[in-house]
Amino acid sequence: MREQSKRFQNHRWLLRAAGPAVLVAALMAPFSVPAVAQEVTTIRVLNWQPGGAEYWTALVAAFEAANPAIKVELETVPFDRYPEVQGPYITTKSGPDVMENNAGLELFDRRSAYVELPAEVLEAGQELLTYSGGCLNFDTAQPCYGLPFGYQGNVMYYNKKVLAAAGLDPENPPKTWDEMDAACTAVKAIGKTCLALGMTGVFPTYWNFPEVARNFLTEDDMRAVLAGDMPWTDPKMISILEAMASIGERGWFNSSAPSISMLPDGADIFQSGNAAFASTIIADAVNWAAFGAALGDENVGAMRWPSIVPDAPLAKKFSGIESSVFGVSKWSTKQEAAFEFVKFVAGAENANLLTTIAGGISLNKNVDPNLLPKSQALSQILEIIKFPTLHVGVLLSGQEADALARGWQEVTLGRLSVADWAARMQTALEASPSKS
Amino acid sequence: MTSKVDAPLKSSPSDQRGWRRFALRGDVILGLVLVLPGVVLAILFKLVPLLRAAWLSLFETRGFEEPAFAWFANYESMLRDPTFIAAFRNALLIFATLPIWIFVPLILALLIFQRSPGWKVFRAVYFLPYMIAPIVVGIMFRQILAPDGPLNAFLRMAGMAPLAIEWLNGADSALLSLVAVAFWSFFGLGVLTYLSGLATLPEEVVEAARLDGAGFWRLMIDIAIPLIRPVLGYWTVLCTSGMLIWMFPLIYALTRGGPGSSTMLPEYLVFTTTFEFLNRGKGAAIGMALFVFVAIVSAFVVRRMYMEGKGAAQ
Repeated sequence: MREQSKRFQNHRWLLRAAGPAVLVAALMAPFSVPAVAQEVTTIRVLNWQPGGAEYWTALVAAFEAANPAIKVELETVPFDRYPEVQGPYITTKSGPDVMENNAGLELFDRRSAYVELPAEVLEAGQELLTYSGGCLNFDTAQPCYGLPFGYQGNVMYYNKKVLAAAGLDPENPPKTWDEMDAACTAVKAIGKTCLALGMTGVFPTYWNFPEVARNFLTEDDMRAVLAGDMPWTDPKMISILEAMASIGERGWFNSSAPSISMLPDGADIFQSGNAAFASTIIADAVNWAAFGAALGDENVGAMRWPSIVPDAPLAKKFSGIESSVFGVSKWSTKQEAAFEFVKFVAGAENANLLTTIAGGISLNKNVDPNLLPKSQALSQILEIIKFPTLHVGVLLSGQEADALARGWQEVTLGRLSVADWAARMQTALEASPSKS
Repeated sequence: MTSKVDAPLKSSPSDQRGWRRFALRGDVILGLVLVLPGVVLAILFKLVPLLRAAWLSLFETRGFEEPAFAWFANYESMLRDPTFIAAFRNALLIFATLPIWIFVPLILALLIFQRSPGWKVFRAVYFLPYMIAPIVVGIMFRQILAPDGPLNAFLRMAGMAPLAIEWLNGADSALLSLVAVAFWSFFGLGVLTYLSGLATLPEEVVEAARLDGAGFWRLMIDIAIPLIRPVLGYWTVLCTSGMLIWMFPLIYALTRGGPGSSTMLPEYLVFTTTFEFLNRGKGAAIGMALFVFVAIVSAFVVRRMYMEGKGAAQ
């Protein structure tokens, strides 16, 4: 017993030393676990999921597989609520590491929230057909705030069945304003709507205005629109408004157009087979894939808007724009990881995912052509987009977009003259903070 | 002896006053403690945002650039803006429908109260519209009011084809449709409010009136309205402010303020100015104008209610 006690006393120093050691180890334990976790950087990405949830799940999985040290946390907000969520982040200079915005004026207005992309990130842009929509004034020599991944723009879809029922040649849709007028007369004679249209919200600005404007403006004029140097009282701008007004005078579209939205109501009219034509977009929602699924791929065709001034320099061009761009927020403390995400989004791997899962049209030149779905409308679109020009719709300010839609509604209902509409547009231009 | 024993137990008048003061002070403290959370919440979530909005309305805000102090420039710009004028004109037009908002739920509540034929069915369903989220109501009615929607189909079927108009296209019909949809959505709350008031009516008074041969309208005008005047006043104040600030989800889903500015209301204009035009200063100025407008109208109604209540009490 005494022996045991002595042995215990001999080893007491060991216990004395071990006690604090265990204590220190216990105290350090919580810190040692995150030492491993710190190797994984989590970035938050604010987005509206263009291309759909399935595509975004695949995109995040592919990125994390390629970058095991970076984890992506998505903050997805519906497109129509996006400004309400992003605005407070920007004003409080806090929030996500990566953000999405439409290319053009929407991004330029918010550039104070983005870092200028460094040269090594912009290298990823060399793989793209264009990335100027992410750069100030659409000029890649100026600071760039985001990189795009998909291509977007407007075409006019047509329902071959309806055209055939109206006695028209479905393989030879109208190419000029007069041919369109004749086609609409024939379509209306069989009790169908000629052009499915909705005039509320931003759709007139993004989907209709650019297609009419291409007949009257040059690219220099469009840059003047962006800079706020093209007054709405200019004869060219008046001509655009007159042409838009004439669509209503000719009775091409559904009478409910002034009070409905193109998405979903206007698109529904076309998708349900009740209209011959619909002017929408090439990617994301209400595109060739959606219409093909509803009406049958074999019944859907895509064409340029009919020319009003066939010999105008941009009449046979495509109003194209990068669909949206991703940039890195100025307040992010994880900018290196965020840059990796922006590069990946612009890269070929994501381009293949966009093409196969979302049915989108990628800007990346290295997308695998074998992955493209088989669709006649898509083939027609791929031909049309070979001749791009600026998309003048995204160069209008929020004030101009609102006045354009409301003015078109009232002109169509016969409550406003084109001259008064132009005066309102000019007032809206003068009230646009980004243009004055 | 007794007096000697009892004497220390009896308190003097000055002691009683002290106790009363202490009890009174205790009541005051208790009252303050009970009121304090409400006051703190009201200051934090009502007064502070209101003052911040008033302060912001004095700044020129250009997109996301740093705001610059501009005194009353936003208010000047607001008063020159034709959409602002249109929005308040529409608000006044909607305000003119206030009698419908007040009396139709009262009539329905009285029909249920006096157990008119079918009252059981109506009692089960009248509150349903109020339970549907306004944004869903808007989406529903966008379909119902569509040119080829169920309403027009019914009108055509019933031989009333000339009435089958494009409800949301006309300047007047669009605003009228918006008010009608809002009324459909909120009248259930009014019926419920009135029913709770009618439940307090003395049964013998109602019975006596009936025995005297009072019909429905006599009962409503001479018995119900005078006896539930505070409830009537409460619902009037609620409608007065509510009909100008409940409309946002309906406008958003139905018309977006159009065609043109036909259904634009101040609260929707605050939204477009702030979030679509990124002009937070002017948006705050319009918000302040709306606040003043609702406050003046509500104060007028409350004051009238108070005066009538005072008169009745005398």
